[in-house]
Amino acid sequence: MAVSEITTPKAAALHLLCSLSLLVVHWLAWNLYSWSLITHTSETLGLCLIVHGPIVIGVYSLVRRDRQHCSYWMAVARGLFGLPVGALVMSFGAIVLGAPVGIRYLKRTAYWSLLMSIFTFVPPACVFGSSRVDWHRIFAHFKPEESLDALVCLPAYGSVIGAWIGAWPMPLDWERPWQEWPICVTYGAVAGYWIGGFASSVFILIHGPVHVKED
Amino acid sequence: MSNRMATSSMSCGRLAGWISAAVLLQILGLWLFVSGFFPVKPTVPGFSGPESYRMPTCEDVLVDERRDLLPDQLAKMYMDLSQIPPAFDRMILMVIDGLPAEFVLGKGGQPPEKSLMEAMPYTQFLLSERRAIAFHAKAAPPTVTMPRLKAMISGAIGGFLDVAFNFNTQAFLDDNLLDQFYQIGWNLVMFGDDTWIKLFPSLFRRYDGVNSFYVKDTVEVDFNVSRHLEVELVANDWKLMILHYLGLDHAGHIAGRHSLLMNSKLKEMDDTIRLIHTHNALNGDDDGGRTLLVVVSDHGMTERGNHGGSSFEETDSLALFADLWSESLVYASNMHNEVFQVDVAPTLALLFGVPIPKNNVGVLLIEAFNSFTDEHKLRALELNSWQLLRLLQVHLPHLLCRDLREGASSGQVVQSNEYFDNIEEKFHHLYSIAKAAHTLWKLSERDSSGRSENSTNSYNAVASYYDFLRYGSEWLSHRATDKPIKLILSGVVLLLLSSVLLFYLLLLQFKDHGTERKFGSALKNCSCVWHLDETFVSFGTFLHIFSLGASSMVEEEQYTWHFLSSTMCLILFYMTMLSFLKEQQTVSVEMKKEGKLDLHQSQITHISVAKYTARVILMKPLHTYFRIYSLLIVLICGRILRGWHQGGVNWAHLPDISKWLEQTSSSCMKAFEITSLLLVMMLSLFALSLLKSRTRYVLIASFGIVVLGFLVLLHIIENQPVNRSTSIAQIFYFNFGILVFGTFVLSPWILPLNFQEHSDSHSSALKTDGVLMGIQDSLYVVGVIYASSWCILQLLLQQPVNAIPMLLIFVQTMACIIYFSASGHHRQLVEVAAVYFLGMAGHFYLGNSNTLATIDVAGAFIGISSYSIIFPSVLMFIITFSSPILSYLSMLVCISTKDIVSLSLHERPDLSQLLNLMIAFPCLLPLVLNSAVLTTFTLILLVMRNHLFVWSVFSPKYLYVCAGTVSVYIGLYVVTVTVVYTCTVFFFRAKLLKFGKS
Repeated sequence: MAVSEITTPKAAALHLLCSLSLLVVHWLAWNLYSWSLITHTSETLGLCLIVHGPIVIGVYSLVRRDRQHCSYWMAVARGLFGLPVGALVMSFGAIVLGAPVGIRYLKRTAYWSLLMSIFTFVPPACVFGSSRVDWHRIFAHFKPEESLDALVCLPAYGSVIGAWIGAWPMPLDWERPWQEWPICVTYGAVAGYWIGGFASSVFILIHGPVHVKED
Repeated sequence: MSNRMATSSMSCGRLAGWISAAVLLQILGLWLFVSGFFPVKPTVPGFSGPESYRMPTCEDVLVDERRDLLPDQLAKMYMDLSQIPPAFDRMILMVIDGLPAEFVLGKGGQPPEKSLMEAMPYTQFLLSERRAIAFHAKAAPPTVTMPRLKAMISGAIGGFLDVAFNFNTQAFLDDNLLDQFYQIGWNLVMFGDDTWIKLFPSLFRRYDGVNSFYVKDTVEVDFNVSRHLEVELVANDWKLMILHYLGLDHAGHIAGRHSLLMNSKLKEMDDTIRLIHTHNALNGDDDGGRTLLVVVSDHGMTERGNHGGSSFEETDSLALFADLWSESLVYASNMHNEVFQVDVAPTLALLFGVPIPKNNVGVLLIEAFNSFTDEHKLRALELNSWQLLRLLQVHLPHLLCRDLREGASSGQVVQSNEYFDNIEEKFHHLYSIAKAAHTLWKLSERDSSGRSENSTNSYNAVASYYDFLRYGSEWLSHRATDKPIKLILSGVVLLLLSSVLLFYLLLLQFKDHGTERKFGSALKNCSCVWHLDETFVSFGTFLHIFSLGASSMVEEEQYTWHFLSSTMCLILFYMTMLSFLKEQQTVSVEMKKEGKLDLHQSQITHISVAKYTARVILMKPLHTYFRIYSLLIVLICGRILRGWHQGGVNWAHLPDISKWLEQTSSSCMKAFEITSLLLVMMLSLFALSLLKSRTRYVLIASFGIVVLGFLVLLHIIENQPVNRSTSIAQIFYFNFGILVFGTFVLSPWILPLNFQEHSDSHSSALKTDGVLMGIQDSLYVVGVIYASSWCILQLLLQQPVNAIPMLLIFVQTMACIIYFSASGHHRQLVEVAAVYFLGMAGHFYLGNSNTLATIDVAGAFIGISSYSIIFPSVLMFIITFSSPILSYLSMLVCISTKDIVSLSLHERPDLSQLLNLMIAFPCLLPLVLNSAVLTTFTLILLVMRNHLFVWSVFSPKYLYVCAGTVSVYIGLYVVTVTVVYTCTVFFFRAKLLKFGKS
């Protein structure tokens, strides 16, 4: 029975790392290439994927459940597998909700849904693998029951809800460049991700470190 | 249980009473608000007379001095009083319906496109030779023919609701040019749109009215006007000839602004202008006198050829003046003047020496007075100012009681005392300046010292008159939106009251059904802790309501509805996937649980319930797949529909499927229409064949559907010969009525009661079961027939482009119903709300928007052979609100697929309880959702009454909201009546049967 603990500092550090990586991407894009999400949407999103993706997969694989039967690299592989699957789900959702389809938007939609997949699907894929019970638990109950759930699902919910809210300014006739698909949706998602990360840190702080048991 | 029923549940009759009371309150409140907010043009009664040539004074006494004068004497008196020699004797007013000024004058300083220039060579020649002057005359919304004609001839801006009377033209009683001309003895002749005849039933000496209602005809309408020209141009008994050409507008309605018909139509108009302009009889001969040709358009058109809104394309109308007599350069070459349509009225009045109409807010176009001397020009401006001052005085009673003369003569502005508010002071100031400049010019003219000084003086006087006139004109046009606050407030209060009442009733129902649910949810093992779907319904409704506060969100409401309805479906999808995940892991556990429940219940119920439960368990996995697929169908159909019409205002020009389809050949379009017709028919026949008790009656109903489909097929194929397709459409309407009404009346009598087979068992519960099954079957048949024949009707009426969207909406609605019938997780609230959301989203999927321009006028005349007002309006309503009404009608199917059998396991519901169970939610919830929108939007409109877009964005939307409310009333009324009738008949039959047995 190996027992690992997720303490508040650990969780906070994890979220800080994930959040910071996005800031770093922003900084890198601006200073190295003078890109921004508004001017070079797909390039910046791509950079985001390259930097943020490995960090998320690496970090969440550290806190994987079921450590005895699942090595670190196995968790990484699970995360990598979860990435395109989640991206498919996310792009389906986005297109159904009205994201433009067309060659011009193909690249952006692909990058955006990969990023959303990193926010939402990859962490639980790394942590839980394909355990149906766990997936059902974290997605059926919006109240996370233990800190690992909070760690995984609060940022995910945050980013989905943030992206949903972020889409609302799109039809307004302000004629701002950031109203283009998927710029403001990405902003919303990132904001929601940060808030979710913060909330999950607070949650763990309140509930105290919970032992992650394995059987 | 019976205790609960007695205490908390409201009896059906009382509930119905309360709901109708709330609805009546709502109607009353709406009526009060609308009549307060959309005033039907506050006008000054009476006609301008000789007093308009006098300076208005504080106590203007209206003495009608014209009574005893003959027309000739009156004309002479006007001429003497005005001190302006009339420049022209006769006028030809040529109205080209729907011609955008951009076609003639270009846009933003650029000449029009080459093809357009080439289409109107003579007009362009006139303009370039400076023998005519033309203006962009900005029309006020609503850009529909009748209010625009009124604006041009009376100079007044009508109330917004004039558009509602567009189909109900009445005689025009306010002061206007035509009556003024008539009073000075002119003979008027009119050829063209019969709106003129309706406005002035007894004014014209000769006329030939053509009807503007046959939108598909572009040739005959104009030929009927032009054929009179040869005779009339030679005749010299008329002074004013009105020619109103409708063909261009019709060409736009059929195929849009850039249609192929357009250039030939423009050429035809140009030829008419050439014919008139070069006609010998008019070119300043001996007895004809000088003739002025005025070419105006009443409004422009959008890219798609529609009009009604306030975009530049729609309001950009033309005003062109051409002096037929003069051969020399008459006019300045300035071609890009932007003026207002109302300016035409005072210009014409002053050019022809009649008093300016009383309600005129326009300002004369000084460029049209180029051949006049400075003195006459300034006099004309003075007369215009006096008229505006009189009109201003009506609004500001103290305006003229100040010492105007003194202020004017001294050339100084009297400092205000605090008694006068700012606006009066401003007018006073502007008028004094103008007056002073005019006096100065007169003085210098008398001295005749220096010509250059004189011309600067006259220039100054003109400019300062213009300052006053423009300011007054704008203030008055804004003032036209003055509203009686008491009416509005009482309307708002009533609306609020009825919304609160409806909401309270809904809450009461909720409580009842909530207790009801406990049993149901125990049976179905609801897994959700808190109801995401229900939360989203209320949250989404709030979001939608708040989004209506932003003008661009109102313009682009189609995005909101698509977003909300798709999110709703995604949430349902998500919940289904969850239960799917859960089910697979716990199927065995559930089996045990259900079994236990079954055992418990067997004490109070009987075999059929056990069977039912067994069926539920066995069907469950299958049901989950059903649910997943049907939701996927809803989602994918929704996305395709979203891409069909771009919709809205700001991005309406972006490519979409409908634009792409319109470019394809008509045979391709027909193929699409026929395909979707066949699919709709197949779907509805399939839906009918699903009924368990397949009697001969259902076969007959299916046959009715086939007949309807066949008639539409004939209509689609034979679109060309107008008369024939009209008779086909009429036969269709007849059959439609028979089928729908017949199904409604007969099904409850004919469909079996379902308990003959168990006649040996005397359990009364079983009997009720049979009644309930019968009711379900009957409602199912009626609902499917309603929904499918409604769809087929739409396939007849809608534009060909909308055939596939109609099919997709039908599929969506049916899939949604299948989803809800297969899943027991959701409360009825969610079910009804989801269908309502789909209906609202479908409204926009069919290309509707919140501007009046997207209303399909052409479709409203299908199958109408004689002129009437009501029938086209009804058809227009049916076309516009097809999707919401479809959603209300399909609520019947929704109700019939609900498990009322399982709900009645415990007790035998009597009629009233059953009705309460079945229609309380489907009726209340749409009413509540709609009244939330209605009330909030009323408040928004009230708050935004001074917003820049109040007339162009918010008011049209308000009309849509009102019409939507009517559609809710109609749809729910049909649902309620059908359910009540069906249930009553079945209970009656059960009773008969019981008596028959005993």
